[in-house]
Amino acid sequence: MAMSTTPTLLLFLLILPSAILSSDPDSSIVSELLHLQSQSKSGLIHLSDHLLRRLLHPSSAPRPFSLLIFFDAQQLHDKTELRLKHLKSEFSLLATSFIQNNPSDPNIFFADIEFKESQSSFALFGVQALPHIRLVGPEAKDPKSDSIQMDSNDFSNLAESMAQFVESKTGLTVGPIHRPPMLSKTQIGLLVLAFFISLPFLVKRVLSGETLLHDWRVWLSGAVSVYFFSVSGAMHNIIRKMPMFLADREDPSKLVFFYQGSGMQLGAEGFAVGFLYSIVGIMLAFVTHLLVRVRNVTVQRFVMVVVLLVSFWAVKKVVFLDNWKTGYGIHAYWPSRWT
Amino acid sequence: MVGKVEAVNGGVKPTTTTPASSETPADLAPPAFSFRALKLKTKQQELLIRVTILCLVYVLAFIARLFSVLRYESMIHEFDPYFNYRTTLYLTQKGFYEFWNWFDSESWYPLGRIIGGTLYPGLMVTAALIYWTLRFLRFAVHIREVCVLTAPFFASNTTLVAYFFGKELWDSGAGLVAAALIAICPGYISRSVAGSYDNEAVAIFALLLTFYLFVKAVNMGSLAWALASAFGYFYMVSAWGGYVFIINLIPLYVLVLLITGRYSMRLYVAYNCMYVLGMLLAMQIRFVGFQHVQSGEHMAAMGVFFLMQVFYFLDWVKYLLNDSKLFQAFLRITVTCAVVVGAVALGVGTASGYISPWTGRFYSLLDPTYAKDHIPIIASVSEHQPTAWSSFMFDFHILLFLFPAGLYFCFKRLTDATIFIVMYGLTSMYFAGVMVRLILVATPAVCLISAVAVSATIKNLTQLLRAKNKAAGPGKGATSVKASSKASLDQSLPFQRNGAIALLVGAFYLLSRYATHCTWVTSEAYSSPSIVLAARGAYGNRVIFDDYREAYFWLRQNTPSDAKVMSWWDYGYQITAMGNRTVIVDNNTWNNTHIATVGRAMSSYEDEAYEIMRSLDVDYVLVVFGGVTGYSSDDINKFLWMVRIGGGVFPVIKEPDYLVNGEYRVDKGAAPKMLNCLM
Repeated sequence: MAMSTTPTLLLFLLILPSAILSSDPDSSIVSELLHLQSQSKSGLIHLSDHLLRRLLHPSSAPRPFSLLIFFDAQQLHDKTELRLKHLKSEFSLLATSFIQNNPSDPNIFFADIEFKESQSSFALFGVQALPHIRLVGPEAKDPKSDSIQMDSNDFSNLAESMAQFVESKTGLTVGPIHRPPMLSKTQIGLLVLAFFISLPFLVKRVLSGETLLHDWRVWLSGAVSVYFFSVSGAMHNIIRKMPMFLADREDPSKLVFFYQGSGMQLGAEGFAVGFLYSIVGIMLAFVTHLLVRVRNVTVQRFVMVVVLLVSFWAVKKVVFLDNWKTGYGIHAYWPSRWT
Repeated sequence: MVGKVEAVNGGVKPTTTTPASSETPADLAPPAFSFRALKLKTKQQELLIRVTILCLVYVLAFIARLFSVLRYESMIHEFDPYFNYRTTLYLTQKGFYEFWNWFDSESWYPLGRIIGGTLYPGLMVTAALIYWTLRFLRFAVHIREVCVLTAPFFASNTTLVAYFFGKELWDSGAGLVAAALIAICPGYISRSVAGSYDNEAVAIFALLLTFYLFVKAVNMGSLAWALASAFGYFYMVSAWGGYVFIINLIPLYVLVLLITGRYSMRLYVAYNCMYVLGMLLAMQIRFVGFQHVQSGEHMAAMGVFFLMQVFYFLDWVKYLLNDSKLFQAFLRITVTCAVVVGAVALGVGTASGYISPWTGRFYSLLDPTYAKDHIPIIASVSEHQPTAWSSFMFDFHILLFLFPAGLYFCFKRLTDATIFIVMYGLTSMYFAGVMVRLILVATPAVCLISAVAVSATIKNLTQLLRAKNKAAGPGKGATSVKASSKASLDQSLPFQRNGAIALLVGAFYLLSRYATHCTWVTSEAYSSPSIVLAARGAYGNRVIFDDYREAYFWLRQNTPSDAKVMSWWDYGYQITAMGNRTVIVDNNTWNNTHIATVGRAMSSYEDEAYEIMRSLDVDYVLVVFGGVTGYSSDDINKFLWMVRIGGGVFPVIKEPDYLVNGEYRVDKGAAPKMLNCLM
């Protein structure tokens, strides 16, 4: 009676957990992944070699989920032409938008993996260059050949195009991408309130003529800065996101500051040229305004000569730079024949 | 005709003025106040010299733009001018009422286009008026000649307006320099060569005229000048879509004057008259319609209008009250109420949709990254790209160095007029940095401010030169370039004189380099009609490609007159004007879906494209291929834009299908879709 049921009970107790464990390994993996996902702020699951091995274990194929992996390397974050940090933030935007639109959807998981920690996984997937994003489908057996790589066209429009890639390859809908606004609602509300409260005081000060705006020097420096910003092509650099300098293609240790060829320019180049432009006018102002007050005639003359030389050099430099950059040879025009 | 705003350098040297070289007329402007006693002869001499210089500058501005007429022939350049030419032809043939109510079924087949309501008629009406005047005087000219030469004619007129503006700003010497600078400035020449029959040719003249008349009105406070400026504004609205710049800059200027405490009755009269009349007149143009009260772009003007009324009201109340403390309290309440009411009204208007938000074209100026992501048609035009510094240098050369110097001089002598030119200069420079095309709008401001710098500097230098053995420094110590202390400088006068001579020579050299640069740029870069191409043959002989016009003429002669031609939108205007055939899409680009249909047809497989073309009743397809001659802006180069624009509306067209490994290839190894599509 009791003696005969105990061994069976014990056996039953022993078998049960293993039965439970082995009957539904997928759902435990999925719940573990969901748990990891909810813990991470960026919506990305950070994979290690070990975790990846478990996920890609052959016995678990067909998996109930797809896996989209972002391959990352900390040491390459500084290379601006790869834009790794930007792409990673776009990728996590994709992940958070998906999670927001489809909560607890176990069909696809977004993950990232770091080179230094998991070099063998990189070798497993055959990843040679970054940026690299791969989709591992539910039926994929061999990581290298069965996974689909996202190519550079899909990066081009960032999160939206990545979403399109996901939708076309897996058939899942990502939904709209939720980009966080620049200022949160409360901040905007506070700003508006502060503005309205301060309005009467501001108006009173304006009318009495005391504000900073009434000083012509403020306007002058503002004017010169607008001029500097415009003439140095800073707008072009901002819109096109040009880097400050490039590495020379032949000799990577040398830095190229000036871009040869009209129509495009680099960041440092813009600042240098803008500085050269502004310096001529500013020095003229300095001379006529401040130098007049100096008593010593010799000092005046010396500074005058210096200013003249510097202006001359600046103009020559800009003209030389322009001729080098555009390749035009501007000359006086005496036509030798009619055609 | 002596300007009121002369330089106040009272130290007049009653020597006879020596004429300078005709390129740099900036060194003569002796004020006429003290010539009352005698010396009428000098005054007449001075007047003669000024008139001569102005005539020479007028002629110079005209002939500098004639390079392409001399090299090729008198024809209309580019793409857009052909549409303007066709409409002008229609206007002269059929009359104004037919033109104003014209519905064109020959373009945008099968939709047609309401031409009368979707164009700016200023240019066409101007050219037609000139044509009718010449005909009345029995000159038998063809309308095409009038169209080709309209732009240089108005450029010459602009130099005259620049002279008067400079006189208003500073003195007549600065006016002369401004006229000379603007006559040859490449930034302006680029859009006003002979043959470039486009809106900007007339618009820049109208812009400068409106600004001059308004500044004059503010200075004089007279209703007549304000009325004139309203009519100038009407002419500008009829000529170019860029009038939005005026209707935003002038309120901004008024606002700045109000903030810096320069409110006056003159400003009130000038702005009110100009705004109300200008708005009413502008609404006569069908294309503009009710935008002045409905569109967000015009709301600044209305806001400032109401603010002016508030200021006047407060002024009146202050006069009535005679009690400052009570007035302060009243002031605080009123202005707060006014601003709050204004903000609420604007908010309600925008939210309810009555006031439309800024259109994409102008919004992309405030937020330059907007167009790239959302409106590919705007982003694809090469003129809309942001400006690198070499483009500034190319179009302005020396003027860029003189610009901050001129700014400084303007700030030293702050009047209502100089505040205006500083604001105009800065806003237009900022926008010129955003879009290459807008360097044109910045050109008059840059020329005027640089002229102020040149004129003031050279005047001081020449005064130094002409100072005989008078002790003490030059008249206005603060504005002289050669600084001098208050002590007597008898022994240092020769040094000063030599220094002044050296600087003058340097200045003349600089200006002559500017003239050289401008001539070279005009001749090489801005004088090519893009419809006729020239190249150097193997033996150095010049080879002319007239392929475009020959193709259109072939169309005109060898196809039935109701044939429909499908091509990319670049060539639409030219096909209708020269080939006289119906087109599917043209440069007006008002219907993105129609263009996308054409793009889709060009980039689909031939059988799909055939279906699309049958549905559009297309008989002929026109493509441009530059492979044989090395012409690089042909349809293969533009093909990716066809794909992008088509793919923007029809998702079946996907750009990656046409690329191989992210690269655009057109040889044997190109993508299969690329090889088999219609293009």
